[in-house]
Amino acid sequence: MRPVAISVDPPEVSRNLANKSGYTFPILSDPDAAVIRRYHILHPAGAPDEHDIARPAEFLVDSSKTVRWANFTEDVRVRARADEMLAAAKQLH
Amino acid sequence: MTDAIEFRRNTAPWWGLLFALASMGCNAAFFLTPPGQGAIVWVSLLLAVMALIFLIAGLRLVIVHPKVYRGKILSVVVSVIAVLLAGLSIFGFVSTRKLPSAAEAPQVGQRVPDFTLADTSGKPVSLDQLLAASSTNQAPAAKGVLLIFYRGYW
Repeated sequence: MRPVAISVDPPEVSRNLANKSGYTFPILSDPDAAVIRRYHILHPAGAPDEHDIARPAEFLVDSSKTVRWANFTEDVRVRARADEMLAAAKQLH
Repeated sequence: MTDAIEFRRNTAPWWGLLFALASMGCNAAFFLTPPGQGAIVWVSLLLAVMALIFLIAGLRLVIVHPKVYRGKILSVVVSVIAVLLAGLSIFGFVSTRKLPSAAEAPQVGQRVPDFTLADTSGKPVSLDQLLAASSTNQAPAAKGVLLIFYRGYW
């Protein structure tokens, strides 16, 4: 099971984040929020500069592309922590 | 039979300030990501509401018993500061919950849409590739990816 992070940030910004935090998992860029829209998790004008962004959402997807676990926070300050996500992933196997 | 009316200190504004500061303190604790983050959101709201209750009580005392609880400048200043802090805390609570509903997003049991997006080196990566990569060196049952959509702008 592999984490993959996705946001509207361009690759350079994500690269800095990965280097600073030591993340080794893929961080993907969706600059015009096309995929975010496809997943129906758009937050229109949600960025400080009114850019469209994603509302926070996590999906645990199996090999048949089926959602096994999903988390949609009600409050941007409360996010599923990495250990909580990994615990959820372990429980499903 | 009352003689001289005894002047009493109105402690309510001070309690209001204390609760307002505690509420703001809870907000600050967010960036430390403590466990039970979800609970602290509600605690900070509760503290802000308690602050407002004390401030309203203090105001009521001054209005109903003006000769006993004479308004002092300090009490007024403390009350104003407390109201602003409590208001700020409540505003913060409301604004961080202004998220669009995720009702139309893929739910448990549904299939997710395909995608191909650039990784940090600009190389396009597809969902199929990610799922295929996740199954190497692991038991078949452990295949899968955890898609983490985040706001960005960090």
